[in-house]
Order: sequence, then C-alpha cells, then structure tokens
Amino acid sequence: MCSFSALRALVAPGYPLLLLCLLAATRPDLAEGDSADPSFTSLPVREEMMAKYSNLSLEIHNISLTEDARLNKKSPVQKNITLEKPSDLELICQLTASRDLNSVNVTWTKDDKLLENVFNTTKMGNTLYSQYRFIVFNSKQMGNYSCFFNGEERRGTFNIRVPRVHGKNKPLITYVGDSTVLKCECQDCLPLNWTWYTSNGSSQVPIDVHKNDKYVINGSYANETRLRVKHLLEEDGGSYWCHATFQLGESEEHIDLVVLSFIVPLKPFLVILAEVILLVAIILLCEVYTQKKKNDPDDGKEFEQIEQLKSDDSNGIENNVPRLRKNESVEQ
Amino acid sequence: MVKITRVGSSAPPDGGWGWMIVAGCFLVTICTRAVTRCISIFFVEFQTYFAQDYSQTAWIHSIVDCMTMLCAPLGSVISNHLSCQVGIMLGGLLASTGFILGSFATSLKHLYLTLGVLTGLGFALCYSPAIAMVGKYFSRRKALAYGIALSGSGIGTFILAPVVQLLIEQFSWRGALLILGGFVLNLCVCGALMRPITLKEDHSIPEKNHDHGTQREDCKQTSPYAPLTKEWTQLCLCCSLQQEYGFLLMSDFVVLAVSVLFMAYGCSPLFVYLVPYALSVGVSHHQAAFLMSILGVIDIVGNITFGWLTDRRCLKDYRYVCYLLAVALDGLCYLCLPMLQSFPLLVPFSCTFGYFDGAYVTLIPVVTAEIVGTTSLSSALGVVYFLHAVPYLVSPPIAGWLVDRTGSYTAAFLLCGFAMIFSSVLLGFARMVKKMKRTQLRFLAKESDPKLPLWTNGSVAFSVARNLDQKDEESVATAVPGCNLT
Repeated sequence: MCSFSALRALVAPGYPLLLLCLLAATRPDLAEGDSADPSFTSLPVREEMMAKYSNLSLEIHNISLTEDARLNKKSPVQKNITLEKPSDLELICQLTASRDLNSVNVTWTKDDKLLENVFNTTKMGNTLYSQYRFIVFNSKQMGNYSCFFNGEERRGTFNIRVPRVHGKNKPLITYVGDSTVLKCECQDCLPLNWTWYTSNGSSQVPIDVHKNDKYVINGSYANETRLRVKHLLEEDGGSYWCHATFQLGESEEHIDLVVLSFIVPLKPFLVILAEVILLVAIILLCEVYTQKKKNDPDDGKEFEQIEQLKSDDSNGIENNVPRLRKNESVEQ
Repeated sequence: MVKITRVGSSAPPDGGWGWMIVAGCFLVTICTRAVTRCISIFFVEFQTYFAQDYSQTAWIHSIVDCMTMLCAPLGSVISNHLSCQVGIMLGGLLASTGFILGSFATSLKHLYLTLGVLTGLGFALCYSPAIAMVGKYFSRRKALAYGIALSGSGIGTFILAPVVQLLIEQFSWRGALLILGGFVLNLCVCGALMRPITLKEDHSIPEKNHDHGTQREDCKQTSPYAPLTKEWTQLCLCCSLQQEYGFLLMSDFVVLAVSVLFMAYGCSPLFVYLVPYALSVGVSHHQAAFLMSILGVIDIVGNITFGWLTDRRCLKDYRYVCYLLAVALDGLCYLCLPMLQSFPLLVPFSCTFGYFDGAYVTLIPVVTAEIVGTTSLSSALGVVYFLHAVPYLVSPPIAGWLVDRTGSYTAAFLLCGFAMIFSSVLLGFARMVKKMKRTQLRFLAKESDPKLPLWTNGSVAFSVARNLDQKDEESVATAVPGCNLT
C-alpha cells in the first residue's frame, strides 16, 4: 500500500524534515486507512509496523507500585507523558511485594477499555514487571493507559497527551482604536500548524485573515504564533482560541481580550487632578492667611528692627560650621 | 503665585513648618526617584507591544535618570531666580505632561521624547530645589530631616512597585501611564508647601529684600557694595553668576565634586548587577529578588538612622568623616563581593551595603551645605547631582562590557570598589591637608603676635582672622563666623 512505502521513507535515518513533509502529505492517507480498517491494531499488522518503526527512538516509562498495607487507600499513581511526534513507547508497571506473586493478575486498559494479549509479564525476585510496548502514530493512540494488579488493588496510569500550549493567564486589556497582539507559544515543541478562532456566542469561528486587514497572523510554523488585531472596537472583546496541530492531535489555549474605552482610566486621573487642585488651593490660602497675620503693622516693625540688628554681623555661612572651627581651635 | 518678602525667622527653625517641608521633600523623592525606578516595570509591556528588545526599552529609564541629573543645575537656577514653589510646580506640570503624552504614544521614539526627556526635565526641576529647601529649614536636626526626606525613594519603590503592577493589570500600560501622570501631579502640592524662608545669611535673592540693604559676601573683591534693589538691577550678569556659582572655585568644593564623580561611578552598577551575579553563583530567582528587597529596605533604615545618628552632639562635627567612612565601607563591601558565592553570605553583604548606601545618600546634601553654606546650597546641589549624571549613564555599560570580556563579575566589582575607596581617600586626604595648613597658619599667627590672646575675645579673633585672610583665601568664608559666635 502506498502509505507503507511512504512510512518506510519516513523512518529512514537523517531525514527529519523529509519525515515531517511526507507525514504531512500522507496524513490523509493514514486517516483514510484508519477509518477503512477498524482492526488496525490486529496482531500481524502491528508486528509489521513495529518492524518498520524500529528506527524510531524508544521511550521507556516506568511506574513503581508497592504493596504496602498503610498505603491501601492511596490514590492511583499517575505519570504524564507528552508526545509530539510518532514514537515507540514502552510502558512498564512494576509491583514489589513480599507475598506470592504468581497469583497476581495483571490487566491493562486504555481509557477503561480492556486490552487483550498486548503485554508481557516477567518476575524477578520480589518484583513483578508488566510491560506494554506499542507505537504511537496518530491521535487514536493517545489517552490514558492503566495497569491493574489484581483488579483495583494496585493501579498505575500513564496519561499520554500532546504538548500544552501557553497563552496569557490574565485577560489582555486594550483600548478602542488601538491594536493588540495575542500570543500563543509552545515550549520545547514544534506544532505543524496554528489556527486562531474567535467566539461567536458559544461556538468557535475560525478567523479569516484575508477578509480584511483587521487580523494579521505572524509566526506560524514556529513554536509561537501572534495574532495582531487592528482598529479595535468594543465588540472585539471576548474569547479567542489558538489551536496547535501536531501529528498526534491538537492542543488549544484560550485568551480573553478586554476592550475598554478611554474614559475608564480617565476617571481616576480626574479624581487625582481634583485632589491636587484642592490641596494646592488650601495650602496657598493658608500661606496667604499666615502671611497676612505676620504682616500686621504692629509686628512688622519689630521684625524689621530685629532684621536690621542681625544683618550687621553678617557672615554668609551657616551656623554649625563655626562650631566646628571653634572646637578645632579649642583642641589646639 | 504668592511672593513673600519675609517669613520673619532669621535662623533655621529646626521644626514647625520645617516638618511640612520634610514631608514635601519626602513626597518629591517618591514622585521622582521611586517613579523613575518603577518605569522599568513597564518594559515588558513595551517590549511586547512595540516588538522591541530589552536594550531598546531600557533606554527610557537611562534617559529619565540622565535628564533628572543633567538638568539639576537648571532646576536650581529656576528656583533661585523665580521661587522654589514656582520651580517645583513647573516641574510637576512638565513631568505630568510627559506621562500623559506618553500614554498616547504610538512608537518607542515617542516614549523616549515624552516619558524620557520631558518627564526627566520635570523631575530635574523638582529634585534639587526640594532638597535645598530642607537644608534651609534645619540646622541642628539637618541630617535626620534629610534622612527622612530621602528615604522616600526606598519607601516609594516598595509601595509603588506593586501598585504600578496592579495598574498595568487593570488598565494596561496606557491607562497606567495616565494614572501615574496624575500621581506625579502631586509634585505641585509639594511645590506649594515649599514656603520661602530668608535666613540672616541669605542675601542672594534680591527680589525678596525690597526694604533694606544687607552686608554681602563679595565676589572675590575686597570692597563690598551696597545692594539696594535699584543698584542691583544695574549690576552685570557675570557678577550675579559669580555670586551664585562662586563656590565652584572653592578648593573644598572641587575636591567634593571629583570625589562625587568617582562615588557615583562606583555605586550605580550594583543595583543593575546584583541579581545577575547572584544567579550566576547559583542563587535561585526568588532568593535573588529577596536580596534586592533587603537592599531596598535596609537602604531606608540607613537613611533615617544614620541621619539621626549624625545629628547627635558627639557626631555632629564629624559628619564629613562619617560621610567618607560610609563611602569607604561601601567600597570595601564591593571588594569583598567576588568572594561571596552563596546566599547566606550575600544576605549580610546586602544589609551592609544597603545601610551605608542609605547613609551616604543622606549625608551628601549635609556635607555640601557644610562646604558652600545655605545660600548657595541650591546651586551647589544642582551641580553635585549634575555630576552624578554621567557616571550613572556610563558605569553600568562599562561594567557590562567588563563582565562580557573577562567572563566574570570580579573585575567590574573590583573597579567599582576601588572607585569608591579612591573617592573617600581623596576626601580624607583633602581634609588632612586643610587641617595641616590651618595648624601651620595658626602657628605662624601665634609667632607673629604672641601678646594677642587667641580665641577668647571676639574682636581680637576677628583681627587675627583678617591676617589669616591674606594667607589662606579659603579661610575667609569659614574663619570669620567662628569668631562671631563668641
């Protein structure tokens, strides 16, 4: 089938870019293959695929469970796995117990659906290892995989997800007539595509960049994307979503945009302005009042005389410096 | 504007309305220095909005700082010739206009002009006149008054930083700039508080002395002239400038100016490079931020306690020595810094450096006042803060270049440490030389006229001082008042 030959080319070493392009090109083929063949994970096909995918790097994830009477009520152990590209995964659950391990029953589930004949169980000393190895190559393999020892007695869960996208936690505040930039980024991952959606009531409406020059999207095909919105109006406020598309699924983030009119910060400003004018008026009036009292004719002459006397022994330098000189002279 | 001829007190009140002046200066320091530091909180917003990198946005802070210090002499000129109230109110209006226009900016260049130049100019018109005013109202408790007034920068930064962050979250940077513009308008309130005061040695403001003439300190001429208002208007401009800036030729002031250059060079990089240095030796982000907070809080403590300490009778005459000791200890801290490679060692460093940083900042106006006197204090402070500008601008980039070249912070810190130690050594050396000269002169005076009992009779001491005048020019200003206090 053409999809398999394409896949062989994908796993050839040293062609990561080719891998990406070809995978993007053949994705529709894979999807078609999925919907056409419901028993895709049947044994012979899976083994063939594992052979073809042998050049993919192996990721091993381990959960340790102990049989401890004190921890009986403990919540199930969870491990989060972030996958961006198709990978060869090996999930191992190990149980360390003191009692007889031969009677322990191991089961695996994916999203609460039982998996049959897919895992190996080995025993080494006091520890029982259960190993489930599989290839993740599209979004159908993503989910929660759980291993159970003796039913619900001991449980470990692997949560396999696409990488999370980060936007801004707090609402973005802008003003009418201004322009703003909404940013979504993904650390340590490279999405294949970014798309932006705006909210229309309760549904998401994709943003058409070519309709008018109001929206401009920059920075696609890199680990961040920026949506620039110009000529903001109050109706432009609301929720925006950015979707990052990976080979193994989609990840989205939600950003809130708030558009204010300029009157909103103007009110506190006017309050402060009024306070300043009031205080200045009060202080200057107090000054004039104090001055009028002091410039009373009776007191005025007295001050003048004192000024006259004291102006005779003028020096021009302040008073504490002479003390310094005096002390120095005393020390001599 | 209310023009007052005389408040009626002839000596510094050391209290009363003086405390309102201290409150006004405290608010001025908050509105200028603390707001300048809080501008850097806007940088992240400017970076995302204008799509520029950090170095482009950091220019705004440098421009404001530089303009505030560079135009400080302009501030003192305006407050000398018009009035302190007018000067500070004008500065408040300018700074507020800068913020309001900045909130409408559409590019980073607009912000350089409005938020940088205009606001910096406005701050410059407020800063040094307000500090000079405190010096006029206090003499006995001068250092404490300065300590309280200058602690505004630390306390203001502490309070304003979270408030500015909240404003940006609620109103985005445009609304936050508008509201900060309103806050800065409170400088006008501080300006209104600055009631002029004429002291007995305050002769240099002719608009205020309409009624009578006063003896005047001559501008390097032996014959004093009668400064009646009509004659005053006929005097040449150069003479008035000589009057105002005559202190520039005093050897004491020149020494202070040179030492301030080195001290300003040394003190500025620490606030920029402490956090990166701490991160480089393995301290976590939270702990590094905590170090900066300690530095800020202890700075405030140092301001007020050192001011109170140097007002005590035992230390009052040694303010100069306290100042140079504080600068020297800061320099020593710098020299020890490359050896401190862990968080428990950096905390005492932060405390020590912060305390003495607050200490010498409080004493700069006090020491300047001691050297030039209250009359020229405003102009002298203008010049002193002007001399801060170029080192503030130049020192962090040079330190950054040294860090990039040598790969470690040692060279940069050692250079700053030596600059500060050199500054204090210079001051100590100058003071020692002066003391030796005076001892020599007194020795000569004693030998020349052994019959005259020295320093017991006011008039006799006056004549001895007159003889000394011819030999030691700088003793003219200082020796004469000492005799008059007998």
